[in-house]
Amino acid sequence: MTDDITIEIRKRSWFEWLAWAVWLFLEIFLIQNAISSGQELEPRAASIFWVSFFVLLLAGAIVWFIRRGK
Amino acid sequence: MSDNGKRKLSRRDFLRMAGLGTGAMLVSTAAKSAASRQAMGEISDPAGRIQRPWWVKTVDQPTIEVDWQKMQRYNERTGTVRGPGMAGYVGQDEVDRLSAAAAKNELQRMLDNVEGYTLKDQALSSAHSGVGKSFLGPQEAKTPEERGVPKWTGTPEEAAKILRAALRHFGAATIGFIELDDNTRKLIYGVDPDGKELVFTNDEFASENDDTRFIPNKCKYVIAYTVQMSQETMRRCPTVTGSQTTSLAYSRGETIQASLQEFLRGLGYQCLGESSTNALGIAPAFAVMAGLGELSRLNRLVTPEYGPMVRVFKALTDLPVAVDKPIDAGIMEFCKRCKKCAEACPSGSLSFDDEPTWEVRGGWNNPGHKAYFEDSVSCLQYWREQAGTNCGICFSVCPFSKKDRAWVHQWVKAGSSTAPALDSFFRSMDDAFGYGTQASSEEWWSLDLPEYGIDTMQST
Repeated sequence: MTDDITIEIRKRSWFEWLAWAVWLFLEIFLIQNAISSGQELEPRAASIFWVSFFVLLLAGAIVWFIRRGK
Repeated sequence: MSDNGKRKLSRRDFLRMAGLGTGAMLVSTAAKSAASRQAMGEISDPAGRIQRPWWVKTVDQPTIEVDWQKMQRYNERTGTVRGPGMAGYVGQDEVDRLSAAAAKNELQRMLDNVEGYTLKDQALSSAHSGVGKSFLGPQEAKTPEERGVPKWTGTPEEAAKILRAALRHFGAATIGFIELDDNTRKLIYGVDPDGKELVFTNDEFASENDDTRFIPNKCKYVIAYTVQMSQETMRRCPTVTGSQTTSLAYSRGETIQASLQEFLRGLGYQCLGESSTNALGIAPAFAVMAGLGELSRLNRLVTPEYGPMVRVFKALTDLPVAVDKPIDAGIMEFCKRCKKCAEACPSGSLSFDDEPTWEVRGGWNNPGHKAYFEDSVSCLQYWREQAGTNCGICFSVCPFSKKDRAWVHQWVKAGSSTAPALDSFFRSMDDAFGYGTQASSEEWWSLDLPEYGIDTMQST
């Protein structure tokens, strides 16, 4: 008698891919503006873009971590 | 990746590829940016026009209404800055009082070492030395006749192209052309700042005497060009330090005009310039008609590339050139909702009206077009009594006064041009991000700024 092992493979839905693509795009946008704002001598704008970049990065990491467990 | 007939992308692979993709995009963006700043390609337009962003639209009429029947040629001596200036509006006694107050403040601020008004700032201010301006130009370059060759000939497009190339070489930022007709001829002053009349004649060559400057009718092509100012310097306004980018731009404009006049002389044509600062004609009007920008709430030119951070110059020539049209980049529409300059104006001289009006504020304005007319008297009183120099706050706070390194600026400009409903939001974000805030004048002396404090690759 053998135990059956079922491996469930879930296909990632298209909108999840799209969400990650949007996330990536926003991260690129934010880091470009953060670096450039520093070059433009706009410290407040640079700070806002850097904070936004890291918050979004953290959010992405958390989502990735949670979904990895499923 | 699993390899089961079909290649499937795992989450880990996706993230790895995403990371690589991000890096590649950033590298390619940086490389493209660096490349574009290093080497410019050839201009494909036959008239040498630069490629502008897609949201800058060419239109047949400017974004302000003009009633050419009402418009008359302006007497520049009725302005507040040149000629009799302020005295015509507030009396000589008030002008003397303001001058005395300005002198007293200047001395006291130097003695107190007030930031932006110290001796070194005043020394910088008095250091500008231009080549001088004249209506007819230096007249020293060899003419084709003197060289023993026929004068240069080419199509209007070729003429525009070489003039653009020469002017960029001399230091101009953007260049446009118009042909004078019965309407646009009214943008040439009736009287120059020094009191000389400007008269159109059928003479072959331009000339001037003690009372009059004679403009041949065939000199009907207007060359309008801008000289870029430094945002980083201007954000020190209103101080002596901050005003130096204005002085520098005017000084550079003098050199550019003389060079342009000599270049055209060398080609075998005439070039009639400003006899003194802001002489000859209404600079913002010519710039608007030539598509360099739009009129704004400042009642000055705002360009898509540099915002208001330019000084505008003009000249007349008999060399036929391909002309340009006005533009619509959403600037005037943005001004209707923004009002940041009016809020920041320390003398309350700028209009808070929602819409531009036909009603002028005083004799210093020229009627015949809709605009946000300013109170030049209260503006100048503030210059003399408080600022101790020309002000410039309205220029420095304008949301269009941005350097163009961060992508967000181009996106906001494009968004504003195509979706004016977002203008109020963009204005709020401009405040939230700290744009347009005044910076330390003392710190300016420690900045590693490029030549003239400007980015000559901006907008390219």
